[in-house]
Amino acid sequence: MTRLKSGCAVARGAVAPALIASLLSTSAFGAPVDLSKWSPEYVRSIAGTEEFDTAEACGKVTPLDYKGHLTFWYQGVFEGDPDLLRQYYKDFFESFRQTYPNIQLEEQALTYNDLLDKFRTALLGNAAPMAVRLQILGGTEFASKGYLEPLKPEDVGWSTEDFWPGAMKAVTWDGVTYGIPTNNETMALIWNADIFKRAGLNPDSPPATWDDVVAYSKQINEKLGIAGYGLVARKNAGNTPYRFMPQLWGYGGGVFDEADPNPNYGEIRLNSEASKRALQASYDMYVRDKSVPVSALTNQQADNQPLFVAGQLGMMISHPSDYNVMLDLQKKATGADKDKAQTVIDNMRYGLIPTGPDGKRAVVFGGSNIHILKPEYVEGGKVDEPAAKAIICFWTSPEWSLKMAYAGSNPGNLNGFKTKWMKERLDNIKFLDVTTSMLPYGIPFPALPQAPEIMNIIVPDMLQNALTGAMTVDQAADDAAEKVKKVMGDGGL
Amino acid sequence: MVTGAADSGRQTRAMRTDLLREIWINRADYLYVLPAIVVMLIVIAYPIYYTIDLSFYKTPPGLQLKDKSFVGLDNYTAILSSSVVWRVSINTVIWTLGSTVIAFVLGFALALALHRDFFGRAILRAIFIIPWVISAVAASYIWKWIYHSDFGIIGVVLVQLGLVDRPPNFIDSVNTVLPALIVVNIWREFPFVMIMMMAGLQTVPEQLLRAAQVDGASAWQRFWHVTFPHLSGVSTVTILLLAVANFNSFVIPWIMTGGGPANASHIWITHIYELAFGRQLWGVASAYSVLLFIILMTLGYFYVRALSRGERGRPAA
Amino acid sequence: MSSQTSVSKPRRIRLDGWRWVGRFFLVLMLIYTALPMVWMVLTSIKSGFAAMAFPPEWWPDEPTLASYRNLLDPQNSVGKDFLQFFWNSLLVSILTTILAVLVAVPAAYAFSRFSFPGRQFLYFSVLLRNMFPAVIFLVPLFILMRFLGLVNTHGSLVLTYLTFGLPLAIWLLKGFYDNIPVQLEQAARIDGATRLQAFILIVMPLSVPGIIATAIYSFIGAWNEYIYAYTFLSKNDQLTLPVGVQRFFSENTTDFPGLMAASFMMSVPVVVLFLVLQRYFVRALTEGAVKH
Repeated sequence: MTRLKSGCAVARGAVAPALIASLLSTSAFGAPVDLSKWSPEYVRSIAGTEEFDTAEACGKVTPLDYKGHLTFWYQGVFEGDPDLLRQYYKDFFESFRQTYPNIQLEEQALTYNDLLDKFRTALLGNAAPMAVRLQILGGTEFASKGYLEPLKPEDVGWSTEDFWPGAMKAVTWDGVTYGIPTNNETMALIWNADIFKRAGLNPDSPPATWDDVVAYSKQINEKLGIAGYGLVARKNAGNTPYRFMPQLWGYGGGVFDEADPNPNYGEIRLNSEASKRALQASYDMYVRDKSVPVSALTNQQADNQPLFVAGQLGMMISHPSDYNVMLDLQKKATGADKDKAQTVIDNMRYGLIPTGPDGKRAVVFGGSNIHILKPEYVEGGKVDEPAAKAIICFWTSPEWSLKMAYAGSNPGNLNGFKTKWMKERLDNIKFLDVTTSMLPYGIPFPALPQAPEIMNIIVPDMLQNALTGAMTVDQAADDAAEKVKKVMGDGGL
Repeated sequence: MVTGAADSGRQTRAMRTDLLREIWINRADYLYVLPAIVVMLIVIAYPIYYTIDLSFYKTPPGLQLKDKSFVGLDNYTAILSSSVVWRVSINTVIWTLGSTVIAFVLGFALALALHRDFFGRAILRAIFIIPWVISAVAASYIWKWIYHSDFGIIGVVLVQLGLVDRPPNFIDSVNTVLPALIVVNIWREFPFVMIMMMAGLQTVPEQLLRAAQVDGASAWQRFWHVTFPHLSGVSTVTILLLAVANFNSFVIPWIMTGGGPANASHIWITHIYELAFGRQLWGVASAYSVLLFIILMTLGYFYVRALSRGERGRPAA
Repeated sequence: MSSQTSVSKPRRIRLDGWRWVGRFFLVLMLIYTALPMVWMVLTSIKSGFAAMAFPPEWWPDEPTLASYRNLLDPQNSVGKDFLQFFWNSLLVSILTTILAVLVAVPAAYAFSRFSFPGRQFLYFSVLLRNMFPAVIFLVPLFILMRFLGLVNTHGSLVLTYLTFGLPLAIWLLKGFYDNIPVQLEQAARIDGATRLQAFILIVMPLSVPGIIATAIYSFIGAWNEYIYAYTFLSKNDQLTLPVGVQRFFSENTTDFPGLMAASFMMSVPVVVLFLVLQRYFVRALTEGAVKH
């Protein structure tokens, strides 16, 4: 699931009031978007109210008869993604080639977990593509090292105000903008109402707090002998931070002060009491209650999806597109499996991510950004800038930023919400409202070059140390805090 | 052009002349080995230089590689004083020794058991060879599925037999993950030992064995005093080849566990990969690699000696 | 010692003991060897849900070849990719094999027959290649391949794989040549053949088992290699099987029957190849390297 892992920082702040304060602080980018008005009702009210002509808009940036050559990598769709989404990706490249028949485009799709390794290697060998679409977690690293060209929405004919302010902040390093958001998203909690009922839980009400998640998971496991909550703790897999950070923030913890309204990443909080409580909750589920899949340490979200659709898992943190993944799995199932899967789909419920004990609700604000490389790092030493801008304009247009995020994400370009396809999508994709309602609770990963290492290695290590009993919860948290300190210093070992 | 025999005769004369002249005289010979040497040089020389050079530089993860700074031996001292290194080293030793010794014993025993002809021997031999041919990637997936902590067949069978209450945890536990991975590695390696030793057994002269039997030697004595000494050469080569391969293995731990959980299955190679690609400490990773070279070169000395045993004593045909 | 048991009458009882130990051992090893393969095949003919049934279905209630159809159907996207990866793997492996034989045969012959200065040193240098762990060279080799213009081409893989197979191939072939009597060539030379002709006409035919063994070894190595293929190639239509399979199954939704079917399909060519040609492999070892 590519987008499950995709990360893109957007809105800063944990709860709506704090968020508005932080939005004001980003006003340097123009009039802030008032996130508080982005309720599901508001989204419905603007859907389908405007028409946009992509070719016409992008033609002003790069003439449609422009002759050029472009290499482009993107964290793309693969077999496990919903068929619907894969079709839109196919349509996108076809449409681009029709609109710009003279641009010779070489595009390569890479999976989320491959992309960082491959992109870093390519940069070391000066063999990078001219343009790249990266998960947010990577953007700052490459911008801070000077690999990226400055690039802002105005360069491709859009306006900075058309994008979430927090998303813009995440593509900004040292006051300069280095990329444009393509899509932004938040996850939600998904549960199987049938399993809840059989376990003696209220099928229509999700666990309100993370402590409830622990209790529900235990009850499901005790009553039915199946896994309650779909914990994941694999290292070097984007899924792990996307699922653990909301829990960490919910309990009031954090790696730094990233959940605060105006973070400056000065203080390490990974070993605070609140952070330890969050880690303790995972420990309780995995070690004390044994109510989650034992394979959580070697598996990722992709392993939870088949469990869920087979009715072997009670609840998990999930991307809205999981609904389409389940539909596809059901479509491909045969015989008795088909009915079983249908039962799961009928019983699938989406809800807000639980809060911490103090009512704090948080979720990772994810997504992806698109960037242009500096020529010296590119294969051939030349960047065809008009061609790169053409595809970037295309992808970040209202039409395609919506279509490419159709199955679950949200368009990076806010005008995407106004298109007719958004209206169609609201009717076709169940549970879209829930994730839209999670938007105000979104917290981006720290916008630091070290973020990938912290999120992909240090945080999962902390989880594994605690869950395997290699360390106590306290030791694991202290150890991780120490590692973060070293990474922020000189790299450490 | 001259034959090998004329060649060797000429060599005695050439000893008195200077080296350059000798090289010139033998210039046609070099054409035979040139392709092999060129290919090796292309693929090895630059990477070795690059790695050794980089090992003396500090490469902060926040900077580009070209912004490195010279730090002398700092990377080496940092490695040798880090606590992780020792844990990873112990894992590596367990991994290499465990895999090599057990694979050798099992493979050798199989070669012995299959030496005598019996009905079905050919089929058995064919089956036993298959794991060696299957790719490490496929083997990793197969075994990961067998070990799966929730649906793995081994755990399920044990539960069904009533031996345990819930499936035992193989690869999600710090205590069992390394032995579990070693079992997979052995599975891929014992067939190689079997083939090598089968070939070796065929070269043991029957007369010697029969003579020993006539002298009243027991089966064990015949094995220990006749067969085994005769196989010492092939055994050494096999063990060294396995040891080197095991020091360098990457795919099985990387795909099955990524070095986890909690670093319990990290060996040198996976650790170096993580330092370089995951944490971008290229300088440290290079220094690590150089240390590994040194260890492997020591092994390599014995390896080359074993591979070329009798080389010096043999006249060049 | 099972090999001598049948001849020794007075020790009947004790030898029977050995024989039973041998049989017991063979059965255990058979289970160890075969179980993973059997389970792979059984899982591959299950439906996705049946694979995760608890308790497991030993023999699937509804066996299905859907996973295989999926992989081998060029009409659907999985099948299209899989067949492409399969073809890429085949191409890379065959090229590597041919080149390995072309490079290893003359080198091994020269190391065996000639005595040019630096022979020992060069021979040992070639053998030492296996001492260098693949992972360490990933970045410098990537830079080098880019310099040679080979990044994102199968050439980068062929060149690298060539060096993996060469040390053992040269060692194996050299042992083989060492045991071919030099008088044969001398006789040919007397009949007027050049050194090269004697090599090609007399020695080559005799070393066929060694050459076949070298070829199998190179083919298997190239077919199964993972980490360089992962680093050097990023274009989807160029990937080889080990990387391609990993990409479309494990990164996304995990489909165990599909993964097992792919593992099975990936193993078939090398297993068949090896089983057909294995006697040459053993013969090459027996007549060459192992013999002293």
